[in-house]
Amino acid sequence: MLIGIDVGGTTTDAVLIDGTRIVKISYVPTNHGDLLKCLLNAFDLLMKGVDPKKVERVVLSTTLITNMIAEGKAQPVGLVLIPGPGTNPKDYQLGQEPIVLDGAIDFRGHEIQKLNEDQARMAGRRLSNLGLKKVAVIGKFGQRNHSQEMKAGEIISQIMPDAQIELGHRVTGQLNFPRRAATTLLTAATKDSYREFTEQVARALKERMISAPVYILKADGGTLPLEKSVEMPVETIFSGPAASIMGVLALTPVEQTSVIVDIGGTTTDLALILSGEPLLSSKGARVENLLTHIRAFAVKSVAIGGDSVVNVAQDCVDVGPRRDGAAFCMGGPGPTPTDAMRVLGMTDIGDLALAKKAMGSVASKLRVTLEKAAQMVVDAVVAKIVSEVEQMFLEWEQEPAYRVWEIVENEKLQAQSVVGVGGGAPPLVPLIAKKLGAKSIVPEYAPVANAIGAAVARPTLTLNLRVDTEQGSYSVAEEGLTGKVTGRNMNLEQAEALARKLLAERAERLGIGEQAKEAEVTYSEIFNMVRGWSTVGRLLDVRLEVPAGILEGWRS
Amino acid sequence: MAGIKAESKGRAGKTGLIFFPAFDWAISPTHPEREERLLYTRDQIFEEGLMDLPQIEELKPRLATLKDIARTHFCVPDVESQITEAHLVAAGSTMTLADALENGEIKNGFSLARPPGHHSMMVVHGNRGFCNVNNMAIMVEYFRTKYGHKKIAIVDTDVHHGDGTQDIFWHDPDVLYISFHQDGRTLYPGSGFTNEMGGPQALGRTLNIPLPPGTTDEGIHYVLDNFILPVLKDFKPELVLNSAGQDNHFTDPLANMRFSAQGYASLNEKLAPDICVLEGGYAIETALPYVNTGIIQAMAGLDYSHVKEPDFAPGRFTQSDEMNRSIEDTVDELLDIWKNRDLLMESAQSELGDFYRRRKRIFYDTDMINESQEESVRLCKDCHGYMTIASTAQRGYGILNSAYCVSIPRGACKSCKEDAHEEFEEHKDDRKFNYVCLQDKDRDSYQIYDVRTRNRKSY
Repeated sequence: MLIGIDVGGTTTDAVLIDGTRIVKISYVPTNHGDLLKCLLNAFDLLMKGVDPKKVERVVLSTTLITNMIAEGKAQPVGLVLIPGPGTNPKDYQLGQEPIVLDGAIDFRGHEIQKLNEDQARMAGRRLSNLGLKKVAVIGKFGQRNHSQEMKAGEIISQIMPDAQIELGHRVTGQLNFPRRAATTLLTAATKDSYREFTEQVARALKERMISAPVYILKADGGTLPLEKSVEMPVETIFSGPAASIMGVLALTPVEQTSVIVDIGGTTTDLALILSGEPLLSSKGARVENLLTHIRAFAVKSVAIGGDSVVNVAQDCVDVGPRRDGAAFCMGGPGPTPTDAMRVLGMTDIGDLALAKKAMGSVASKLRVTLEKAAQMVVDAVVAKIVSEVEQMFLEWEQEPAYRVWEIVENEKLQAQSVVGVGGGAPPLVPLIAKKLGAKSIVPEYAPVANAIGAAVARPTLTLNLRVDTEQGSYSVAEEGLTGKVTGRNMNLEQAEALARKLLAERAERLGIGEQAKEAEVTYSEIFNMVRGWSTVGRLLDVRLEVPAGILEGWRS
Repeated sequence: MAGIKAESKGRAGKTGLIFFPAFDWAISPTHPEREERLLYTRDQIFEEGLMDLPQIEELKPRLATLKDIARTHFCVPDVESQITEAHLVAAGSTMTLADALENGEIKNGFSLARPPGHHSMMVVHGNRGFCNVNNMAIMVEYFRTKYGHKKIAIVDTDVHHGDGTQDIFWHDPDVLYISFHQDGRTLYPGSGFTNEMGGPQALGRTLNIPLPPGTTDEGIHYVLDNFILPVLKDFKPELVLNSAGQDNHFTDPLANMRFSAQGYASLNEKLAPDICVLEGGYAIETALPYVNTGIIQAMAGLDYSHVKEPDFAPGRFTQSDEMNRSIEDTVDELLDIWKNRDLLMESAQSELGDFYRRRKRIFYDTDMINESQEESVRLCKDCHGYMTIASTAQRGYGILNSAYCVSIPRGACKSCKEDAHEEFEEHKDDRKFNYVCLQDKDRDSYQIYDVRTRNRKSY
């Protein structure tokens, strides 16, 4: 049997799944002061009367890292950059003043300026005097040649032997130096607390006689063994929305293009599943004010929900973006969409008399009937959400492309279904679907879609390989791994074979070896390097991916 | 540089950037205009995270339509056979930025797209100077047709003379074309001398500044400060556009100048173009990543002082006194031309009758085509006058194609319209030509007539 537990903002939900059947559900309120305790409470409630030996797999999704960062509980980190020529480091918005070292690597990985080791020693002493225990060292193009990052890290660690030092190329090898710096910074800031949490979880589950493997859900909807996730704590940020999206994927027909609408009190979260694959944000997640390289589903948060403020201006109804409190029918301060839905009989929460009173004030300002006023409020909410959904599709179409065929093809997609999750969804989703010309789906288990998503999500895996045959070397973006290649004429087929071999090794290290064979090439390019009029070598890039998906057993 | 433009819009907002490296298009595998050209530029600007900055908005290009091309060029035998999809994207990039600028989405824009365009002339039989269609000119015609702009200035900062752009706007008094470039006696295409000043109705609206090989940042900024900027101030264009070639760089393999990334960035800061369009530049590792970063930063109002090529040091390049004097003399000569442009025009026109005629020979270096043209413009008192071009293209020893082209300007007078149509109709039976083309800019309608098959194509 499979277990999925999602520690969400309001409740912690858990499900027990046997094959294709949902056997049991439990939930407890989330206590942000003690996430481990609510996780275990939900787990214990679920496991009452269940034989722990029958559990084959446990997957957790938690707001731990999100909360740590939002509440400023992450540890302070000293930021050391080797930016080389280009942007003034002050223009990078990293939220803190970096220490800048002279030195430079170029796009091919050539050293174009030597590292200033004296500056590195001075940086170490300064950080040590500040009493810092964490240091992040990131060099521009450090992923193409990490010698300067390594050297700077080594010098600093001699001065601060107890400090934990994170090097940019080890965290991610994607192009985009400021994002790499931010991701490295967050990794350094959260690693210790995250490790402690995973150890506590592992211990607690062992005490409960669970011998099944335990996984954590990442922001890209993939699972990773708990003990392997400690190296990349920030990958687990936003695992809550990822869990919901995976849940919808599990609860709706395959290969569909769907909009997921999660309507809450204050905000509505929108996500897209395009031909069966959840849409990832194109460059990486934004965490508070930092842009990162973290692979995460694209979730758009719109400031409109059941408790949004309803305003009347010039015979028009305006809803949101503010929330002043609960709906009037629930004892709140003023009229809200929830009051309108109560009046129209679309929901039965709250007090009808209060709802009528709230809508009455709107109706008199508009000089229309009570029902008409309520309808106008609902229409305004639906129109706002529909326009945001259309905008999302448009933005996806407008994603920049760098090849002729991509511009010429210019794929267009339309929603086939609108899937509602979250408390406010059931009454509104049919109306949104109708406007979009799509089918409305509110899955039976929508309230625990998140826990189901966690339970049945499979691992994801990515590997970006770059080969430079002129220099006779390759590098892997994900782990800062480098190696040698021979011969100038490597072709794409050979590069893909090398990528597959490296992916299999990486999967093995991550404890998800069986997944590697499912990897597909999602991107590959080859460039002849021509100097003068002759070819001196080739640059090859290959990306292998196992995208987010559902365990095979669930569908059948 | 407030005050250059007639309508200073004082735009606030983002810099629009279209990065279109055409990673799947090349003239030939080892040609300088190949897939690899913007690869390292991609690495540099992506690694810098420029697209993430709040000052910059990355836009996706749309495809130009065949009509957009026909508005600018007489393509022989037709538009379809002179372009690939890559050309439609590169031309479409400029128009995407034009729209974004007009809609107020961006304050300025940079089309960092290939293939380039400034060697493409009004009549197109093939590729010359790596160019098939003129992205800059296509954007200018679009700005005028769609948004009604009249006075536009193009400053061509590529190391090669932009003979294509010059040809297209030669007779147009409302388009100021200024090009500085390495002296044509030492570099392709061998033109762009001070005596090339525009047609008799547009004298002084084409201004060429040939510079000696080895000219540095100092020389180019001397020209900018003492000539280009003052002339722009006089002309008061509604838009300033930069044909932003990057081959004045000291490492460019195809030219011999000594311009630096800092020089390029500060040029764009001073010039403050509304839109930059990439032209040439083939030092793909040693110049382009740095020059492009600097231009983007300058346009977006960011600090570009940290941009530096690995082998550049301030003071590395100096100009001899002799070179300084020669540049100063050229600028003085051009300032005279600019000052006396109305007199020059009067005296030129007084010597001519109703028509101005010239013969041209054009060599297409990429496609090895020799074209000869006979061009005729009516010197009309009521409008810019209609134009005809009789063009014959030869490849090897045989005739490739011939066309009789008729162009009606925007705002043409009744008599020019009628005469132009008559010319078009008359030549439909003229067996001397394979094709007869009509470019009616006034009605924004374009036709190509095949004399043998009697088929007509409209755009």
